[in-house]
Amino acid sequence: MPSVNIVNGKQIVVENLDLMQRVSRFLAKPFLQMWHHRELIQAILRRELRARFQGSAGGWLWAVVAPLVAIAVYTYAFTTNLQLPLADTFGNHRIAYALFIFSGIVVFNFFAEMAYRSPMLLHEYAHYIKQTIFPSDMLAVISMLRAMAYTIISIVVMLILQLIFTGGLPWTVLLIPLVFPPLMVFLVGLSWFLCAVGAFTRDAGYLMINIVPLFMFATPVFYPHNSLASPYNILIYGNALTGYIEVMRDIVLLGHLPNPLVYGWILFTAVTTFYFGYWFFDRYRNVIVDVI
Amino acid sequence: MSSSTSSEVVVRARHLGKAYQLYARRGDWLKQVMLGWWKTYYKPFWVLRDVDLDVHRGESIGILGRNGCGKSTLLQVICGMTLPSNGELRVTGRIAPVLALGATFDAELSGRENIMIGGAVMGLKRGDLLRKFDSIAEFAGIGDYMEQPVKHYSVGMRTRLAFAICAHVEAEILVVDEALAVGDAAFQRKCLDWIDSFRRQGTLLFVSHSMAEVRRLCTRAIWIEDGRIRAHGEPSEVIRAYHRALAMEKDDVHRFSAGA
Repeated sequence: MPSVNIVNGKQIVVENLDLMQRVSRFLAKPFLQMWHHRELIQAILRRELRARFQGSAGGWLWAVVAPLVAIAVYTYAFTTNLQLPLADTFGNHRIAYALFIFSGIVVFNFFAEMAYRSPMLLHEYAHYIKQTIFPSDMLAVISMLRAMAYTIISIVVMLILQLIFTGGLPWTVLLIPLVFPPLMVFLVGLSWFLCAVGAFTRDAGYLMINIVPLFMFATPVFYPHNSLASPYNILIYGNALTGYIEVMRDIVLLGHLPNPLVYGWILFTAVTTFYFGYWFFDRYRNVIVDVI
Repeated sequence: MSSSTSSEVVVRARHLGKAYQLYARRGDWLKQVMLGWWKTYYKPFWVLRDVDLDVHRGESIGILGRNGCGKSTLLQVICGMTLPSNGELRVTGRIAPVLALGATFDAELSGRENIMIGGAVMGLKRGDLLRKFDSIAEFAGIGDYMEQPVKHYSVGMRTRLAFAICAHVEAEILVVDEALAVGDAAFQRKCLDWIDSFRRQGTLLFVSHSMAEVRRLCTRAIWIEDGRIRAHGEPSEVIRAYHRALAMEKDDVHRFSAGA
């Protein structure tokens, strides 16, 4: 029987756990929550995906058109009018440099959508959080899944164009599913942190709107990460997105296996961000209800 | 008093208090978050103080009080939406809040889609919802409007839809906050009948400004004023005392001020 027991503003759970049990419970908790609320996640996600293009005649077509147009514009801009010195180093296809940029942009846009939205997310769902018994931590998961849907469409479009124009795909493309679990976990953790901060102050939202476009230049989207001068080519890994973009380009464009060190770094940052974000959100969860 | 006083206690509150944090300056919340372990930067605003309450299985309790007296906060605390600041609270059983009916509706979506989401928020499985859909639609009785976006609904229709969803959530404790105020007489009667039948298996906490409803539905009444329980007992007695006080005390303009 479900039961709530609260004393002096603290939820009381009567149990004796040693450190190991408590750690493993903390590690499992976000995933158990996601499983427990799977039906709710599904229902809201379905609504959000439908709402995105509501009132537009094109509907889902927009999600396909956007990456197509982007790749076409990059191809045109960077190979005809604006001859970049780098453009030749990515093979002899005109589209190659566009695909190079786009593979970075896909990852960056996934991040950007989450970064823009997260600070406002709890305000957006304030009526649910205040009026119903609502698992507010699942909102970050839902918005990640929503952004993921568009990322997948973009990647599929990119792969199809690559197949058509360069005449083949490296077998390492099959490793794409390796890139996404850590990226999803990383972004959910980041989103939890931004959600909690954004609940207290709208400044977080404005900060993101200003900072994210600039952050794009600190991310190897338009240039390869290894083209940087000596200390910076290591420092750039401090930007967690670098690793994802590098792995993405390795497996999709170059047909290399990812550098295990880079992949290890990705996993490490993803897991630490995830649990830090969850810890932070959980810590302020009860205060958040009263401030939004 | 009801005959069930000896039965199991499903909601038990002792010295329950809830304070909201009022900040004098906009930036103070940040100091509170960063340095809260050292110093307090807010003025506590007590909306609930020292509430003692025992609700037994099968009881239905009416909660009276003027606007802003803390009724809704009490319900929110009992439902677990917000934590009490001090005191003890124990709730046993599945609780369904019917607060601010229809507030969670998405105006762009149709009634049908809102039922699916509202039901999911209430903890119903998709399969159950699909099975109960016809019954929910029949209860709401809004006909073809079910497929229209909720933004075209009148307030009364929204209430119908929202109550219809709530009536299909299998809860042991139902918490209803001024839910029926806007429905027409026929719908109100339908809701009251439903609540009547619910009371046979479940426990009810009920906020209303309609004394007739409280008298009809409740086995006990509680009158809350300034966040404290002022009177407690037989519905008709509490209602009489409440009415007497309302007639004596004018609607005070300073009632919502946070001062001492």
